[in-house]
Amino acid sequence: MAEPPRSGTQKLTLMALLTAMALGIFMLEAQLPSPVPIPGVKLGLANIITLTAMLLLGRKEAGAVLAVRILMSAMFAGSPSTLIFSAVGGTFAYLVMCVLTALIPEKRLWVTSAIAAVAHNAGQLLASIWVVKTPTLWVYAPILAVSGLITGVFTGLAAMYLIRALRRLRR
Amino acid sequence: MDKKTKIWILVFVLLCAVGVGAFLLLRGDREGTVAVISVDGEELDRIDLSRVKEPYDIEVHTGYGRNLVHVEPGAISVTEADCPDRICVSMGRLQGGGIPIVCMPHHLIITIEGGEIDG
Repeated sequence: MAEPPRSGTQKLTLMALLTAMALGIFMLEAQLPSPVPIPGVKLGLANIITLTAMLLLGRKEAGAVLAVRILMSAMFAGSPSTLIFSAVGGTFAYLVMCVLTALIPEKRLWVTSAIAAVAHNAGQLLASIWVVKTPTLWVYAPILAVSGLITGVFTGLAAMYLIRALRRLRR
Repeated sequence: MDKKTKIWILVFVLLCAVGVGAFLLLRGDREGTVAVISVDGEELDRIDLSRVKEPYDIEVHTGYGRNLVHVEPGAISVTEADCPDRICVSMGRLQGGGIPIVCMPHHLIITIEGGEIDG
């Protein structure tokens, strides 16, 4: 579905709004206790916003929203030692999204989202192995892949409903 | 539901089953008794858990924060941490090989390796 064009100001406003939402969601999720005691397993709700930005605005805009969210969340959540993990994971997920949104139709956005979530976890794991120089951490790979698939399907479905609702608003 | 959607669901379910199976298999590995505590890849301590008689605690202070490591006969765990997620604490006791304890915000890893240590 082609998006009706937006003016520069409309784009900028929507980007700012989505960035604020992503940051809020990210901070909220950080306050929730982890559902399972496995490092790296998380809901990844902010992924909903990255997907929404990519489909409503485009790749470049989604990249900007993601980059600002990652940098600001490191500032607000105050953990510079974990910034590298979110940055690498986010970049991996973003690249996968860029490719797959062109290949997989929007009605199966949940597939794109799940694969992107797995890529995020893979990137995070690789960054962790590199930082702590402990290759045995690869044993986390299978469970992080499963976690990415499951959470990715749900964030993808959430993004589909959000995109639908936001498009309805413009009509 | 169209055919492609069904195929994707099937692929995802199969992958999940394989992943969970692999995880359970890896976690079941109970080889080794030597616990290695390291931060940023630098080894801080190496303890043969099979030779521990009395439980004791080790405080690990790093540039990132503080963890309290509890050593007992045959097992090791993190009992306190000032990291934001405290996942290392909820991971519980590590009794053999399998899955290392990780405190990612503090770059702290506790693995169990096979083999003996001298002295």
